[in-house]
Amino acid sequence: MKNPRFVKRVLAILVVFGLMLSLAACKKKAAQQPQQSSQNKNIEEKITLTFTHMFTNDGSAISTGFYNALNEYKKSHPNVTIKQEALSHDTYETKIKTLAAGGELPDVFVIKGSMVDPFYNNNQIVPLNDALDSDMAWKNSFVEGAFDDFKRGDKILGIPIQVQPTSLIFYNKQIFKEAGINEFPKDWNEFKDAVKKLRSKGYIPITAGNKGKWLVESCILSTLGDRFTGTEWFVSIRDRKGSKFTDPEFVNALRAIDELVKMKAFNTDINSLDNNQQRTLYYNKKAAMFFEGGWAISLVTNEAPKDVLDATELAIIPPVPGGKGKPNTVSGGAGWAFQINAKLDGSKKNAALELLKALSSYAYSRPMLEKGGFPATKVTNYDESKLSTLAKKYQQLAKNIKYVPVYDVQLSPGVIEVMNSGLQDMIIGTITPEKLAQKIQQEYEREASK
Amino acid sequence: MERGLFKPKSRVFIGYLVLPVLWYVFVVVMPLILAFNYSLYDWSGGPRMRFVGLSNYAELIKDTDFWLSFKNNIIITLLCIVGQIGIAFILAALMTTRVLKFKEFHRTVIFLPVVLSAVVIGFIWTLMYNQQIGILNWILRAIGLESLIKPWLDDPKIVIYSVSVPLIWQYIGFYLVILMASLQSIPKEIFEAAEIDGADGFKRTIYIILPLLADTLKVSVMLCIAGNMKVFDHIYVMTGGGPGKSSMVMAQYAYNNSFIMFKLGYGSTISVGILVLSLAIILLSRKLMGGKRQ
Repeated sequence: MKNPRFVKRVLAILVVFGLMLSLAACKKKAAQQPQQSSQNKNIEEKITLTFTHMFTNDGSAISTGFYNALNEYKKSHPNVTIKQEALSHDTYETKIKTLAAGGELPDVFVIKGSMVDPFYNNNQIVPLNDALDSDMAWKNSFVEGAFDDFKRGDKILGIPIQVQPTSLIFYNKQIFKEAGINEFPKDWNEFKDAVKKLRSKGYIPITAGNKGKWLVESCILSTLGDRFTGTEWFVSIRDRKGSKFTDPEFVNALRAIDELVKMKAFNTDINSLDNNQQRTLYYNKKAAMFFEGGWAISLVTNEAPKDVLDATELAIIPPVPGGKGKPNTVSGGAGWAFQINAKLDGSKKNAALELLKALSSYAYSRPMLEKGGFPATKVTNYDESKLSTLAKKYQQLAKNIKYVPVYDVQLSPGVIEVMNSGLQDMIIGTITPEKLAQKIQQEYEREASK
Repeated sequence: MERGLFKPKSRVFIGYLVLPVLWYVFVVVMPLILAFNYSLYDWSGGPRMRFVGLSNYAELIKDTDFWLSFKNNIIITLLCIVGQIGIAFILAALMTTRVLKFKEFHRTVIFLPVVLSAVVIGFIWTLMYNQQIGILNWILRAIGLESLIKPWLDDPKIVIYSVSVPLIWQYIGFYLVILMASLQSIPKEIFEAAEIDGADGFKRTIYIILPLLADTLKVSVMLCIAGNMKVFDHIYVMTGGGPGKSSMVMAQYAYNNSFIMFKLGYGSTISVGILVLSLAIILLSRKLMGGKRQ
């Protein structure tokens, strides 16, 4: 009597469970079917693309170009629905890595140079050579060296978003004058003198926001390091041809930053502000300068009070005495690129590739350039009068600039994490430059041994 | 028949238990086994995995950053035991007195932060700590204590305490509710008798409430340790383990290794390390508190 009742109950539970499972399975099948047939019918089918990126609609040069191109694309592709997710830069970087680790990358996304290797080794992205070669006009529209950060051998693993410097010095010439500095320092010793003078006048010489950990490395060390080591050293590090992070030149570059910290050149809350907050001190005329990449040109133009904007001038890190690097280099390049998920195929892949094309088209580059951005494609036909004063100042400066690699774009994520959080450690004085160099070298060697 | 009502046959019992147990195995035990499995590989998240045996563990034992974050976890745990349970105990004791008015109101207000999202709390406190616009420095300035103003989340010497404060603040209510529940189960006569005997205020707390709540307090301490060994979201939002590694906790370190440095194998090793260390500390604390005397 008891037995059958128990069995019945268990059976009932199992049946319910089974039903739930089969329902879920049905749903899946139903969802899969149209996709399969879409491969045969193409274009007319409804296509949905997921697109995760880091362009919030904030009026910056890049987002203006981006949304302009995206709208054009939507108009010409009414059958494609784009589900987009826009995140801020730091959040985006974390999110995309997390998605990649879980094997759940969106259909179209933005990829950093340093992510190319792990993504590619895990078959999450594919080379875009075929697509580029089938449309030579597209391929040839890019500026020289635009693909450098995304080339592995002959394979091109990303469509560059923009090509820009990551290290410019924005300074307020009024404040400089007030401190008795009439001209931007010509070499590193003069620069340190200037810092002292600004400090004694009560200004924060350099405002910096390093909460995201990349700013000091990307916007200061990458260029300052090149001044000390020369570019050959970095190329040798990247290709594992014998240079070491413990080489005296690189340690000297770390020491130079350490020295700035000891001179109180930075704001005291450097490690809890992010790069957007760092500029607030500059806008309030409490700080005399800040280091940031080309993207800040349009931001300063939009955000700064008029008197600050008028007083703002641009410069690059001056040469260091005895340094091996050339004086006119600035770390920069594409850094980030658009990519598509390796899983895409058929009409979905075509739609995604066309989206990439749209995102390097004239509709993308022109508004970006006119707002003071740095498109990765050559734009000849644009309205020069639309350029802001600051952007014009940059165009002037850019005539002599040569790009050198940015560390965090070309080194592996492991080495970069050690370097970036190590720099935070060094700034708060818990590690010496020598020790930090050793730590980076250790991680670098550990990766080589695998 | 009646017996059956109160004491279900063991088969029925098992029948009802099957689903929850299966669910538990699926969400707790399986990930544990998977994490242990991953920890034996050199793995960056994709299909490529390389078996390396126990070498990840050998690395973990030598990893000073991991032990530093373990130390931070211990500091946070100790602070939280003293802060959360200590303050909750004092508040609970106050609730039994007649001095305190609007008890229901107080209880609700104190409990409110418990249900807030850790991310929101992290953001709010980051703003409060902000050097320029933060309310904390504003108050200090307003009452003339400008010399105390610090970059709260930037100074490696104090950052671990700064990030503990929101944690403590958030969970006081949680322990208050536990202690209150236990207090309410103490018969009123005991308090009345104590009052007649002249034990009030401080004496009553020490000689009556404390011994009667001893078991609940032990459980609270255990909960507190378990919760704080895996603390993550507050610190992730406020400092991301920075500046440098000075507020790094184990969970954050596991996260950094897994998702920032693409070392998922090693990240899993750290997670297993967290589990082992947490269990060890909970067992140790049980030994110290007298274990299962009851």
